[in-house]
Amino acid sequence: MTPILTIENLQVEFSTPFGAVHAIRGIDFSLARGDILGLVGETGCGKSVTGRSIMRLLDENAKVSAGRILFDGMDLLQLTDTEMRRIRGNRIAMIFQDPATSLNPLFTIGEQIKDVLRAHRGSGRGGAKALAIELLADVGLPDPAQMMSVYPHQLSGGQQQRAMIALSLAAEPDVIIADEPTTALDVTIQAQILDLLRRLQRERSISVIFITHDLGIVAETCQQVVVLYAGRVAEKGAVETILARPQHPYTRGLLAALPRPGSRGNDLRVIRGNVPSGFERIVGCAFAPRCDYVMDICRAQNPAFSVIDSTHHSACHLHEMPANG
Amino acid sequence: MTAITFLLRRLSLSVFVFIGVLILTFFVSRVIPGNPAALYAGARPRPEQVEAIKVKLGLDKPLHEQFLVYVSDLLDGDLGESYHSRRSINTDLSIFLPATLELVIAAVFIALLVGIPIGVLAGAYPKSAFDYATRLVAIAGVSVPSFWLALIAQFIFFSSLGWLPLGGRISRDASLFYPIAAQTGFYLVDAAVSSNWDAFFDALHHLILPALVLSAYPLGVAIRMTQASMIEALAENYITSARAAGLSQRVILFKLALKNAIMPALTVVGLSFAYSITGAFLVETIFSWPGVGKYVTEAVLNVDFPVIIAVTLVVTVVYILVNLAVDLLQALLDPRVRLG
Repeated sequence: MTPILTIENLQVEFSTPFGAVHAIRGIDFSLARGDILGLVGETGCGKSVTGRSIMRLLDENAKVSAGRILFDGMDLLQLTDTEMRRIRGNRIAMIFQDPATSLNPLFTIGEQIKDVLRAHRGSGRGGAKALAIELLADVGLPDPAQMMSVYPHQLSGGQQQRAMIALSLAAEPDVIIADEPTTALDVTIQAQILDLLRRLQRERSISVIFITHDLGIVAETCQQVVVLYAGRVAEKGAVETILARPQHPYTRGLLAALPRPGSRGNDLRVIRGNVPSGFERIVGCAFAPRCDYVMDICRAQNPAFSVIDSTHHSACHLHEMPANG
Repeated sequence: MTAITFLLRRLSLSVFVFIGVLILTFFVSRVIPGNPAALYAGARPRPEQVEAIKVKLGLDKPLHEQFLVYVSDLLDGDLGESYHSRRSINTDLSIFLPATLELVIAAVFIALLVGIPIGVLAGAYPKSAFDYATRLVAIAGVSVPSFWLALIAQFIFFSSLGWLPLGGRISRDASLFYPIAAQTGFYLVDAAVSSNWDAFFDALHHLILPALVLSAYPLGVAIRMTQASMIEALAENYITSARAAGLSQRVILFKLALKNAIMPALTVVGLSFAYSITGAFLVETIFSWPGVGKYVTEAVLNVDFPVIIAVTLVVTVVYILVNLAVDLLQALLDPRVRLG
């Protein structure tokens, strides 16, 4: 089956007074229909920028300098603004990190949902209202009819995120991009929101790109994972194989850095060094300066993807060495 | 707290503001030099005449007694009598106040109806040609003196184009053939209520030019305030999420962002409304508009204290009411604002 969303060689630059920042240096991945794909990496690795590039909601100083974003046979980067507006919310929706500021404080939840319905469904007054109440019930908000006339500040953080999810579902999108949807929430609420997202994704067979820095969430939630490092894909594939047998030294480092119940009292493992700055021109592998297994070729040549198995790819020169296996 | 209890509380607090203004203006007017009785007596009065008038007006009594008399008259709704014209101030104000209010309300409406949409678009497309053009308009509106603008407007629309009358509230023909039955003193309202459309359009015709000139300042302010707060609102996360939801630019700008951005403009224009009641005197003079500004200017030149005090009190009340209206509006727009 063809993937619903394919990203090919996406490159994004930000122009700043100090020069161009290379936020994304060429990434490729695709989202299969009905999958949840985790996009993981450290702060600044380009995961949120990738999400916003798909929605074409980058800041004004940002520009996609190369690549294609194929959705349902169209290259989203080639669409007119009007065509793109019909995609947003309607075919591809987005959930943001901070529900408290992502909901408009001066409009009721009901009004905000009805705005989305009016924009894409053109529902009549009564129809929109009934639909909105149904949505609020579906995301597990108590007393949905009454929720219609409630303002965002009257809700808890978890309820706000549920309302935000209802909003994103309103026009029945095919794809949802969830940009750290649980980061701003308490841990117990996080679990509830994750459960809700998984249930809705299953029931409505939505494909999801789940942007997070939390490998625990990836393990619980996603089928596929793409590990980004410095604007490039380090490793990608099925979650269970990557978490069980990480091939890329960066992924291994990330997994080793997770605190484990048994390691109490020991120092946390860290990956030495820092992420390269977006201003730098990177020659060779972006991870080379921090890699324990660095070789001469790593500093000269950017590694191509090696196929570990049909669902697992890793960009590392180590895989090309016959001795490594 | 409900809107009603809020209103009652605010109004009762406003009473103290009113009393403060009353005491201040009353005593200041008695302390500063000048002889009101001589003024009242007219040209070259004899000393005994002045003494007699002093007794008649109660100016011979101690200050606190004069004050009590004034307050008790005020409580009866009597603002007193002009020393200069000897006319009842109540009667004068019933003519001049509606004239000014009609003019100022029209000006404020023009400022808001034109200024806010312009400010929205200027804020939505910063650094565009439109943005720069509106900055120019806004700065000109705020900084060009109203008397100069008034003269230029008369030159263009009366002398050159002949589209609009030079001044006055209504033409002589209209007032003779289609007299307006005075009820509120607002010509447009009175004429419309009695379906006197000839007089209505004549009065409207007279209102346009002075209202436009008077709207220049609040227009400039409305544009700048709206533009600035739109830029702020459009940078908020909820606007990004609205864009991500595929809402149209029209809904995003004029509904979602504007509701968050409109309050500063309303507040400042509201204040300029109260200011214009007396501040409009240059415009009123140039357009022969029989308003409060002209009335109080003459009173100041004639040291006509009862009129000055009366107008000060009226303007105080307008300030209080406008501020109250702005606060209520804010609570109406923003559910997070607690009335209290």
